[in-house]
Amino acid sequence: MLTVIGRRSLWAIPVLFVIQTSVFLLLNALGDPAVAQLGPRASAAQLQNWRHQHGTDRPLGTRYLEYMGGLVHGDMGVSHQESRRSVTDVLETRLPRTALLGAMAIVIEVVLGLLLGVIAAVRRNTLVDTGVMGVAILGISAPTFVTGLLFLNILAFRFGWFPVGGYGVDAMDHLRHALLPAFTLAITGIATYARVMRAEMLETLRSDYIRTARAKGLSEFRTVVVHAVRNALLPVVTLVGLSLPIIVSGAIISEAIYAWPGLGRLAVESITSRDDPVVMGVVLLSSLGVVIGNLFADIGVAALDPRVRTDG
Amino acid sequence: MDPRAWRRFRKNKGAIVGALLVLFVTLTAFLGPLAAPKDPDLQYSEGLDATTGLPVAANAQFRMGADQLGRDELSRLLHGGRVSMQVAFGATALAVFVGLAIGVATGFFGGVFDTATMRLVDVLLSMPFLLIVIVINQVFDSPSLAVLYVLLGLLSWTTLARVTRAKTMQVRELEFVQAARALGMSRSRIVVRHVLPNVIQPAIILGSTLVAQIIIVESAMSFLGLGVRPPTSSWGTMLHDGVGFISNAPRLVLLPGALIVAAVFGFNLLGEGLRDALDPKS
Repeated sequence: MLTVIGRRSLWAIPVLFVIQTSVFLLLNALGDPAVAQLGPRASAAQLQNWRHQHGTDRPLGTRYLEYMGGLVHGDMGVSHQESRRSVTDVLETRLPRTALLGAMAIVIEVVLGLLLGVIAAVRRNTLVDTGVMGVAILGISAPTFVTGLLFLNILAFRFGWFPVGGYGVDAMDHLRHALLPAFTLAITGIATYARVMRAEMLETLRSDYIRTARAKGLSEFRTVVVHAVRNALLPVVTLVGLSLPIIVSGAIISEAIYAWPGLGRLAVESITSRDDPVVMGVVLLSSLGVVIGNLFADIGVAALDPRVRTDG
Repeated sequence: MDPRAWRRFRKNKGAIVGALLVLFVTLTAFLGPLAAPKDPDLQYSEGLDATTGLPVAANAQFRMGADQLGRDELSRLLHGGRVSMQVAFGATALAVFVGLAIGVATGFFGGVFDTATMRLVDVLLSMPFLLIVIVINQVFDSPSLAVLYVLLGLLSWTTLARVTRAKTMQVRELEFVQAARALGMSRSRIVVRHVLPNVIQPAIILGSTLVAQIIIVESAMSFLGLGVRPPTSSWGTMLHDGVGFISNAPRLVLLPGALIVAAVFGFNLLGEGLRDALDPKS
């Protein structure tokens, strides 16, 4: 088991290296950040001056080696913006905000998803089941930006139950502002967990020990909650890792809708303004998130299925 | 197609709803431009309220109202769909082709090529997909739709290749393939006659879900203002333009939003229906 974890974690290093290198080459070999930063009306001398100042006029190879060398020491370069803040510094402010959204989203989707899945399974082939599953596939099909805009319009604008976007001023306020973006982020997950949990529950409810539990006169509630849910839970919870890639992508959209100043917003801002060092930093963090998520999913599968452990 | 599969498909209500939605959205997208009452890019001064400057609501001239620039919303919806669907179908066709070719080749021949390709698949699956697609699309300065669907297609073949590869490896060991080999059939003939027909089913099912995913990605990018670029517009771009009017003219968000959901919902339902019909064991 430990070897599987070890091998999979080590494999993450070349993966991240390849992604980082490809994005570096793409950003640096094509297009000129100077034009994007100074605007189309900048003179040739201004452009040249900017390139010199930010070092983008040096050969590609030199810049690549410098970047990768810095990365090994945890130095991700300096933002192209006026402030010249270090990329690490920029990421340090943004990451916790997105992490808050992500953590809230995972809690919401696991709790609501499992609950809906259990209800659908217990009431299988009834109107409740069809309804929940219909809503679930609709939840998978409705893109984050559509549900997000709907919530924003109805729950925030019309009813005023939630703040209309933004980040808030203190800790409690941040939480209040995070609720709607986090819920938006969780929609796909709720639907996915509900579907998987329903399938697992249906299988568990058919098993012999459940029949035994019923036969010995346990209440239906106890049978379902104590015996069935507990066993159906494990395979579903190991899927949590797979939520991470979805959250990484979803945060870009959710943060754009609710003006939440996290990594997702930073991604869009830095890409539009061609702040390449920051783009590289966001890509690195996001890939790391996806890799860690996949790793957890693999470990989950390996923990459940002994065959995977030996094949590794 | 197997008549039993067709019967299973017909009896599945979800699949039928999915198929009808797909038909509706596809027809809207490809025939819509012919039915559009007005030029989608023309700005009408009557489209904006003279005193408030806000887009007018539905009336006799603008059957679904006007957008923020006084353009006919109905005509824009009918034209925008073609862009969304063109990207989705183009990218999916490319992804299915690449996925099938790579899946069959790696599964059938194995070896170093197989190992190397599967490593590449690992890397592609570790990418933050939306972010990378946005970065690459932004790097290309030319506002071309072709860039977008080649890009989406070339990054979306991974799951299909994996599934095809596994299926090919399974089929390769079956008796009839060994018999064909023993009879001296050439490898390319074995692939075409015996392997392809067996891997085409999962490709169809995955292809249908892939269309749905690509519609989401394209409209997400356009919604962020980083996908399809003006003057070309898709449902996603319309959503992007409508956000500023969400409290005054929510239909500018609701109409394109509903069409995107209908398209994605339809392709997802169709994909599930196809899976239940073609592969009843799973």
